[in-house]
Amino acid sequence: MAPSFALMTVVSYIPLLLAVVISVTALSIFTIGDVWQAGLVGLTNYLDVLNPSGPLSVLGPLRNSVLFTVITTLVAVPLGVAAAVLVNQQFPGRALLRTVMLIPFILPDFVTALIWRLIFQSGTGAADQVLRFLGIGADYNLWLIGPNAFWALTIASVWSAWPFVYIMALAALQAVPAEYYDAAEVDGAGRLRRFWSITLPAIKPTLVLALCLSVINQFNSFTLPFVLLGHPPAEEANVLPVEIYTTSFTANDYGHASAIAVVNLLVLLIPIAYYLKKARSDEN
Amino acid sequence: MRTDIRPSKPGVRNRGPAKWILYLCGGAFALVVLLPVAYMFLVALQPIEVAGSTLAPDRLSPRSFIDVWSAIDLASYLANSLVIATITALASSLVGFGAAYVLARFKFRFRNFLRLSLLACYTTPGIVLLIPLYVIYVQIQNAVSVQIIGSHALLILTYMSFSLPYTIWMLSGYLTTLPADVEEAAAIDGATRFQTLVRIILPLTLPALVVTAIFSFVLAWNDVLFASVLTKNDTRTVGIGMQLFVSTAADGGLPQWNNLMAAGIITAVPAVVLFIIIQRYLISGLTAGSVKG
Repeated sequence: MAPSFALMTVVSYIPLLLAVVISVTALSIFTIGDVWQAGLVGLTNYLDVLNPSGPLSVLGPLRNSVLFTVITTLVAVPLGVAAAVLVNQQFPGRALLRTVMLIPFILPDFVTALIWRLIFQSGTGAADQVLRFLGIGADYNLWLIGPNAFWALTIASVWSAWPFVYIMALAALQAVPAEYYDAAEVDGAGRLRRFWSITLPAIKPTLVLALCLSVINQFNSFTLPFVLLGHPPAEEANVLPVEIYTTSFTANDYGHASAIAVVNLLVLLIPIAYYLKKARSDEN
Repeated sequence: MRTDIRPSKPGVRNRGPAKWILYLCGGAFALVVLLPVAYMFLVALQPIEVAGSTLAPDRLSPRSFIDVWSAIDLASYLANSLVIATITALASSLVGFGAAYVLARFKFRFRNFLRLSLLACYTTPGIVLLIPLYVIYVQIQNAVSVQIIGSHALLILTYMSFSLPYTIWMLSGYLTTLPADVEEAAAIDGATRFQTLVRIILPLTLPALVVTAIFSFVLAWNDVLFASVLTKNDTRTVGIGMQLFVSTAADGGLPQWNNLMAAGIITAVPAVVLFIIIQRYLISGLTAGSVKG
């Protein structure tokens, strides 16, 4: 009992604090052997990474991350809710469909990334083959490098993200008492009206939570971009977690990497704080 | 000509949309999910010369499922992942159970803060923790002059820093729902606290323990980030093994898409099977006990 909290302190709390400490040092490959030589640099690392025109600027990856997260979530949430509403109806084959819908969620991210890397191969992949068959646009597209890489990443991410929302929305739907619908029907409410006035308000708390968790998950997503786009990725699809990885384990610049990591955490603070507040109010 | 003479059953009204709309939408969702997966299987079965460059199902054979074992060191990746994920699952369940019991049954200062900080850990990005952990590990390694980076034990310990907060949170939520009377009855019968814990509480918690163990297992199995920094040639896990395979194959001219897809299918099986087993519990697992009702 006490040992497990001690272990958690060692492996979770101390590292988090240390990340902040490292972010104000010049720790790099040259000083990692003797950390006391690294030297404090104050907020220089933060100024470097937040300087729009500086060579170490992370504003590009930051913008990519925010856009990628927002677009993925905005597409995945309605899809997930639609899927949940669908399989909440009675029809033969429903049980099978429920399991099928879990597949993108239960596939390991590195396998999902592998499939979409194959689909987006220029000229030979399924994406270009289908475009050629349909006669839409060019039949040889650079999907994984250049500006398209952002969209390739977003499409793959939506594919793997919506079942998470679906699972949570379905649980919430199943908790809505059938009497509500009966009463509404007696009062003459139509199908759409019942959805807006009963279903949506009833599942709203869960939806907001799903939205929060989805934002956190997408913003932290590392494996999908890392395996899908290779390393280093196209500049247009370089997201923060991958940028932090490159700065720390390719450039071995731990000081700047930690500064980016702290920026990453600060951006996430809003959804995280909301999630924690929600979790706490549920407890009491 | 048809006349609708179905008797209207009381209480069961046809409030859903027409069946064909349901099947149309259901079919669309199934296609979106299954087409990429079917494509993966198709390419895995194609001969190496054309694999991944055509949609034609010609000359299909399952030989890539044999060839892939010699194309990459898949057996070693699987063995490493199996050892690391299993120990992570067992260790975090065992340690987490004890901590969860304390959280659920004893009132003490900072209890709520502690519970909340467990959730905070759950939302912290792995990459944010990886840098300080790596710096600490390098310092320890230099101090004791023993190579610890690349060992199974270190990777397991690292995964536990993520699986443990989650496990404690889940189990303590579950334990608070168990009635305290059982424990009181056992105490009256003269059982010690430890006996009660092992003989009574543990069996009752077993279903929840299975779920948290599977989540911890899958967490370790699916990881690429930590494995890419904390493994060496002979301790590589499936995640990083696959990442290296796909990047070297892409650079090497011959992409071997059939072998890549076969390896992807083989490495996905354990995670998929385990999740399907606990499919009913996925919901509680996902929300980490935060949504009640």
